[in-house]
Order: sequence, then C-alpha cells, then structure tokens
Amino acid sequence: MRRVKAVHLIAGLVVIALAGAACSSKSNTNTNTAFKGVAMTGSGATFPQPVYEALFKTFHDTVESGAQITYGGGGSGKGISDIQAKAVDFGASDQPLSAKDQRPGLLEIPTVLGAVTVAYNVPGVPTGLKLTPDAIAGIFEGKITSWDDPAIKTQNPGTTLPHQAIAGVVRQDSSGTTFVFASYLNKVSPSWKADKNLGGKTDPATGKASIKQLNWPKSFDQEQGNANVAGKIQQTKYSIGYVELAYALSNNITFASVPYCTPTATGCTPGPDYVAPSITSVSAAGAGLTFPITSSTNILNSTASGAYPISTTTYLLVYTAQTDKSKGQTIVDLLTWLLHKGQDVIKGQNYAPLPDSIITQDDALIAQISSGGTPLTPSSGTK
Amino acid sequence: MSVGSLTLSAASRRRLTRARLLNRIFTIALWSLGILAMLPLFFIAGFVLAKGASHLNFNLFTKTPAVPGAPGGGISQAFVGSGLIVGMSVIFSVILGLGAAIYISEFGSTRAASVIRFTGDVLLSTPSIVAGFLVWTLIIAHWFPYSALAGSIAISLLIWPIVARASEDILRLVPRELRDAGAALGAPKWKVVVRVVIPAASAGLANAVLLAVARGIGETAPVLLTILGSDYISVNPTHPSDTISLRIYNYARSPVSSLHDIAWAASLSLLIIVLLLSLTARYLGARTRKAMA
Amino acid sequence: MIRSTPAEVGAPLSRRKRARLGDFIASKATGIAALALVALLVAFLINFALGSREGLRVLGFRYLWTTGIIAKFSVQGAFPYIFGTLVTSAIALILGVPVAVGLALFVTEVCPRRIRAAVATLSDMLAAIPSVVYGMWGFFVLTPWMDATLEPWLHKVLGPIPGFGRLFQGNTFGSDILTAGVILSIMILPIVTSISREILSAVPRELRDGAYALGATRYEVIRGVTLPFSRAGIVGASMLGLGRALGETIAVIMVIGNNASVQASLFGKGYTIPSFIAGSFGESGTNGLDRSLLTLMALILVVISLGFAALARLFVRRINQRARIAFDTGSARSAWMSRSR
Repeated sequence: MRRVKAVHLIAGLVVIALAGAACSSKSNTNTNTAFKGVAMTGSGATFPQPVYEALFKTFHDTVESGAQITYGGGGSGKGISDIQAKAVDFGASDQPLSAKDQRPGLLEIPTVLGAVTVAYNVPGVPTGLKLTPDAIAGIFEGKITSWDDPAIKTQNPGTTLPHQAIAGVVRQDSSGTTFVFASYLNKVSPSWKADKNLGGKTDPATGKASIKQLNWPKSFDQEQGNANVAGKIQQTKYSIGYVELAYALSNNITFASVPYCTPTATGCTPGPDYVAPSITSVSAAGAGLTFPITSSTNILNSTASGAYPISTTTYLLVYTAQTDKSKGQTIVDLLTWLLHKGQDVIKGQNYAPLPDSIITQDDALIAQISSGGTPLTPSSGTK
Repeated sequence: MSVGSLTLSAASRRRLTRARLLNRIFTIALWSLGILAMLPLFFIAGFVLAKGASHLNFNLFTKTPAVPGAPGGGISQAFVGSGLIVGMSVIFSVILGLGAAIYISEFGSTRAASVIRFTGDVLLSTPSIVAGFLVWTLIIAHWFPYSALAGSIAISLLIWPIVARASEDILRLVPRELRDAGAALGAPKWKVVVRVVIPAASAGLANAVLLAVARGIGETAPVLLTILGSDYISVNPTHPSDTISLRIYNYARSPVSSLHDIAWAASLSLLIIVLLLSLTARYLGARTRKAMA
Repeated sequence: MIRSTPAEVGAPLSRRKRARLGDFIASKATGIAALALVALLVAFLINFALGSREGLRVLGFRYLWTTGIIAKFSVQGAFPYIFGTLVTSAIALILGVPVAVGLALFVTEVCPRRIRAAVATLSDMLAAIPSVVYGMWGFFVLTPWMDATLEPWLHKVLGPIPGFGRLFQGNTFGSDILTAGVILSIMILPIVTSISREILSAVPRELRDGAYALGATRYEVIRGVTLPFSRAGIVGASMLGLGRALGETIAVIMVIGNNASVQASLFGKGYTIPSFIAGSFGESGTNGLDRSLLTLMALILVVISLGFAALARLFVRRINQRARIAFDTGSARSAWMSRSR
C-alpha cells in the first residue's frame, strides 16, 4: 500500500510532464513560411537579451512554429565560449571578437543598436542627472564617493543631492556591456585609461586592451548579467551602475544624461549639450556605423548631432558551415526576419534598428551560411 | 534554611542559592535559544506565504512566460521541467542506490559494507555546485548538450547517496527472521530479497525516494550549469529545460517587479511541495521503524 | 545478511543451478552498483585533480594566496575566494552552533514532553527549505533589514571598540559578508541541531541520574556530565554544518556582493569559492587556463567539504561506540539528507 504511494507520486510527475508536452504544440496565427523551423539554443550577451527574447518569441509565434529558440544569456564571455565549444547553435556578444577568440568560419553579425546608461537610484533625484565623462570615471574608479561631490553638484545646480555614500553596482561576469562602457571611458578619460585596474588592463596574449572583467573598487557590488545589476540598483538606495537602456526604461530606473566630449591633447572637453539615451539618440549615433566594425570604428563618443555617446551595436555569432541543415535554415530565416521585419519588435523593446547600409552588408554575411556545401537562402516571407 | 532534615551552613546556603539561580538563568537561556532557533523557520515560511499567496494563480501553472514587458504569463514549463529532470534523476539514483543498498545488506562482506556505507555518508555532503561543475565539463567536452538529461545526471550525483544510505538503513531493519524463513523454504537469496525483504521495507524505501525527490526538486546550482533554462515546455531529455528553482533564482534578481511576484508564488509552491514530501517521508519512515521494531 | 544457501536436498540440478545463477547475477549486479558509489567519489577527486594540473603548472600554488591580479596572466588570485569562504563559514559556525546546540538541549532537557515531537519536526523542516528560497528571503528581507537596522547599530555600538571594532567599519549598503554569514548560520541550524539531539540523547542515563542523585541542578548536570560526554559528537555535528556552509552557492551569491577583495570589515563585499565557480564557469569553456584554475578551486572545495564530512563521521561514530546506539537510523539522518542547495 505504501509502496503504491511512491509509485503514484512518480507516475504523477510523469503524467504532468507528458500532459505538458501535449499542450506544447501551440497554434500559430500566420505561418508565412512553408519551412517550420527547428529548436535551437543560444547563449551570451545580456545587453540585448530583452529584445532577443521578444524577437525569438515573435518569430516562433508568427513565422516558424517549430523554431523554439532557447536563449540562455550568461554574458558575452559565455556566449563566445559556448559557441567556440559548439555547445550552443549561436552565440551573442557585444564585443567584436578579438584575434584570439576568432574561429575559422565564425561570423559576427551585427543585429541591433543599444545604449549603455549610467543608472542610479537616489531618492529625490529624477532622470537626467548631468554627469560629465570625468565624473563618471571618477565614480566608477571609486574616487568620487559621495553623491554631493562638487563634480556632480556643479553640473546639477537645480537638484538636491544628499550627503550619502555612492554604492557602485557593476558586473561580476565577463561582460560585453562592461567592454562597451570601459571602452567609452578609455576614450574620454585619461585618468580611467591610466588606472591599471580598470582602463589599463591589457590582455597578455595580444597586448591589447582586454576589458571585459575589471578589477573594480572593493566596495562595489558585483552581479551577473544586466538584469541582476538593474535589479540590485532598484533594491539599493544611493546606488549607481551601468545597464542597457531597455532595462532602465522598462523598470523606471533613473539614468544620467551624458555630453559629447571633444578629445584634446590632455583629455576630453565635454560639450555644453547633455544627451539622454533614447531610441532617437541611439539611432543618431548608429547612423555613423561603418563596416567592418572593429573596436576602433565603433560608434562610441559619436560626433553626430544628437547622438548618445555610449551607444553600440551587438553581434550574433554563427558558423558559416552548419552541420544540421534544418538548424542552419532556421538560423538564416531568423536572422533575415530579425533584420528586415523585426523593426517594430526592436523599437517596442527600446532598442534601435540598424541603418539600412549595415543591414545590406549583414545580408551578404548571412548568404555565406551553408550546409553540406550548399548555401542556404532565406525562406520566403522573412524578407 | 533546611533541606530535608539537614541544616546548612551559611556557605552551603549561598552555594545552593547560587546553583539554583544559575540553573534558572540557564533554563531561561535554553528557552530563549529554543525560541530563537525556531524563529527563522516562521519568519521565512511566513514571509513566503504572505508574499506568495496573493500571487498564486492558475496562470503560474498553465502559461509559459510572456514576452518581456507584457503582463500575465507563468512558469508552466518550469513545473514540467522539474518533473522531468527530477523524475529521471530518481530513476537513475534508485537503480544505482537501491542496488548498492541491497548489495551491502544482503550480499557484501561486512568489510565491504562498512567501506561503501562510509563512502555514501561522505558523499552526502557533496557541494551541489561541484556536481553541476562536473557535468558541465562533460557538456563542454561534447558528451551531452545543455539539456534536461545533463541536469538530471548532475542531480543524480547528489541524491544517489541519499537513496543508497536511506534504503540501506531500512533494509537493515528488516527482521532477520523474515530472511531466514525464506531461506529455510529453499528460496535463493535473490528471490528472498525481491519477494520478501523489499516488500517488507517498501514504506521505508518510499521514504528514501521521497527524501531524494524533496532534495532534488529544491536544487538550483546543478541545473544552473547544465540546462540553460527555457521558456518552452519540453519533455525531450536532449533539449534545454527549466526548473522551478532556476526560475526563482533568475526572477528574484531581475528588475521587473511582476517577475518578483511570480518568484514569490513559485517559492511558495516549491516550499509546499518540498515540505509535503519531507513530512510524508518522515511519516513513512517513522511507521516503518515502528513496524520493524 | 543471509548466510544460508538454497539447500533442497534431492532437488533437480537445473533448479539449483538456476538459483545459484540468479544469486550470482544479483550479487554481481548490485555489487557493481555499490562499487559505482565508491567510483563516484574517486571520479570527483581524480577528474578534478587531473583538470587542475595545467593551472598549477602555469601559476603554481602561489595562485592560492595571491589577493590581487596576477598580471602576467591577467588572472585574479584565489585568496579572496578562500578568504570569503572561510570568513562566511566561520560566522555561520560562531552564530549557528551555539544556537543549534541550545535548541538541541532545549528539546532534550527542557521542552515539555508533549510538544517535543512537534519542535523536533519543525526544526527538521527548516532543513528542507531549498537554498533558493533562503536566497529570496535573504535578498528581499534580510539584506534591507541588515542595511537599515542591524548593521548601523553594530557600527555604532561595536565600531568604536579598538581592534575588534575594525570588523564593523565602512558603509552598510548593499550585500555583504555579514549578511551571507547570517543566512548560512540559519541554514546550518537544522543539521547541527538534529545530530546534536541524537548525541545528547545518547548520554548514558546512569551517568546523568547519578549526578542528579548527588544533588546537582539541571544546569550542573548538563555542564558537568552531558556536554563533556557529548563534546566529540557535537564537534562532529558542527563539522557537518561546516560542510554545508562551505558548499552553499545560491543563497550566498544572492547576498554577498561578489567582489573579489579581502577586507577587514564584515560590512564589505566578499566572494566565496562556490560563487566563483557559479559566476565564472561560463566563460572558461575553451580557455584552458581559466578552466583549469576553476577545476582547482572545485577540487579544493570537494576535498574540504568531504574531508570534514569524513572526519565528522569518525567523531560521531566514536560517540556511538561509547554509547552503543545506532546513529544511522532516526530523524537525524532524514533531516541531514533533506537539505538542498
């Protein structure tokens, strides 16, 4: 009798699992393509995670019903590592691959534009706090420790800043968002660049700046992924950190406005106009994007008018040689649909679509994807 | 003052009063410690109940996650995934753990028995992250993909010693007379085990399985490294999967407050499941022990 | 164990052969399962030891006591992880063991008989709560309370004390080592309590009755007879609690701040070996050196946790031999086995 209880329990679990499977075949509203797509896995950057999740879900629900795409996040470092090991079908990174990380046949395909915001949680201080690049560098180097420091106060005469210690929240994991943020500070702040723990970290293998995982000040809280940094900022009063724009906007987290900064011999002179991150200001920066995009030709500190200085693009990493034909076809369809038909979803998630010139060049990259020697063309309905 | 028929000297009187006072203080201290030790349980369970109950609704169990920003949505795929992963782990660990327990109690020498028993006890303290890490190195080496199967192997590594030790405890309690009776009737050892010993111990074995399930379902670290998480319901062991614990872990730290609500509701469900399993296991275990005594 | 063999005198040869074959298969099959258990332990140790070789070859043992970044390889030294693990576990033991033993004494000595079973059950239920639920509670409830209430109070009261006060300096915002230590101490309560309960009940009645007969108060009996007798067992129980504290990942990650630095203050952020493994495993897949160092830390964690568990078993076994009880059955093991991380 009692043994039956345990058997019932296990049987119950199995029944739930099977029932769940029976319910898993979702009905589609409009399937444009004849090819149904297959399940795929991806991991990597949390910078674009909200828009990727929205895009993948919409693709599954409205285009290819078999394309269950699981995106595991985990940070750019994980995305690069996983796709190098071929443990996932595609990776995602905000940093262009270094020479050491490149693999034969591994494509880097820019997908969307986003912004790194300097987000904070200070009671009584609204969005739009004006922070100069030097102030930002000072805060994140741990040199500016109080909210009412003159460096912040002078730029914001109308705001009451409390005499409270600044609680920094940064990334623990290997992060493309950190790379973008630190690259920006490298460009505009000589003191940051000279800081051995932060801007000055170099990759011993290449000698070039390797700035994904930094040696942050001791008092800083470190979390995994953009979402957890945003969550921690929300939970901690007087905190400041860097997160992608979408996380700040969707969750009413206040963020700073940053000026364009003219490079000089000794540093960088901030201009008079403070730009707030938004789809418009990111697109303005993105208009200047050229191919191929390298760490020196990215759009940080863009000179375009109305551009937000800390804007960037992000990449999906895919192999040209796809062993599984259905997966390869699904990837080609997904990428094409994302670039050509995903604009509304992208903007809906507070990211900016790429400029048309880059989309054309992306199409050329996607055309290189093949399986068993034959190139894969996007299914009809994805363009 | 006098104790019984003795009259005490002043010094003895003082010593006695002091001893009684110390005793009283100590008793009060013990009561305080007792209450203090019980407080966390009530705080934690109470909080989870308070926060989770208001958000516990059918959506949680029947819907998959919504698109970021859209309201509604649940974590039905996490319940399915937990069931699948823990179900598979239980199968692996019962086959191996019960087998080991039967060997120790029926076939092995006392020397082998004590070595295996000791090993099992030591393995009970395996850190969960280490089990997950071991399986992850196999994933990167292409032995499995990020999948429910990988997750269930990681969890099996943790609950296998539980099943082994708990089963062996129970099998040892089965009275020797039952086995001897079987042997006296001419039955071979294996038949005695299958037909007599195991049925006699069945409640206790159920106890072992329930303990293992309760442990397995609450684990996060092993699956964090091996199943990638998923928004889709899947019973395919080679596909990525999701568990209730992993969802709570991710939702708790996200900035979206609606996900916090789901996390509390999921915590409440998980807590109820685990407590029910543990209490049932205890009950079965106690009854078995009483029956065998 | 069944010592008798099928002995049907005069039975047909085939049946006896079948019986022996069945026994042979059964014993070999279950023997393999039993051997596999031992093989599992060996697999952990050997696999991790082999994987660590490259890291040790390149960096040497220096890696373990370096606090900062090893510039040549751009690798963070491991001492902060070890330090964080030790400090949080120490806090867990200092706070948790006295309370746990106190609860055990409460249940065995002072608690009214009628509610004894209920209290024991409640205490064991604490063991069943999953780590992620502890983490949720720690993140949303304990951390804000520590930030706003307890830590400022400690800073005010204990901070000015020279020397010892250094533990309570600095800002109290965000997560910190102290919060992690407090959560760990709650998590080890059930294990230490349930085993201590068994240990304390094993004290021979004659010894205690003798002491009472001499006119000792309950306090004097506990102090003079019960505790000295149970000392080794309680140490064993604490070691098992320590094993749990060392290996705890999820609850710690959510409240410790994950900053790889070594600080004197308990209000500082910290990092433990398990959170290091959980945080950094992702990007080390194809980086041989990073993965090897990660494996080295996993090896250290396994060796310490399982080492303490083995020691604890030996301690407790000694007590049991003296008191002649079977520790192996009873609610203690159930509680011990049902904790999850």
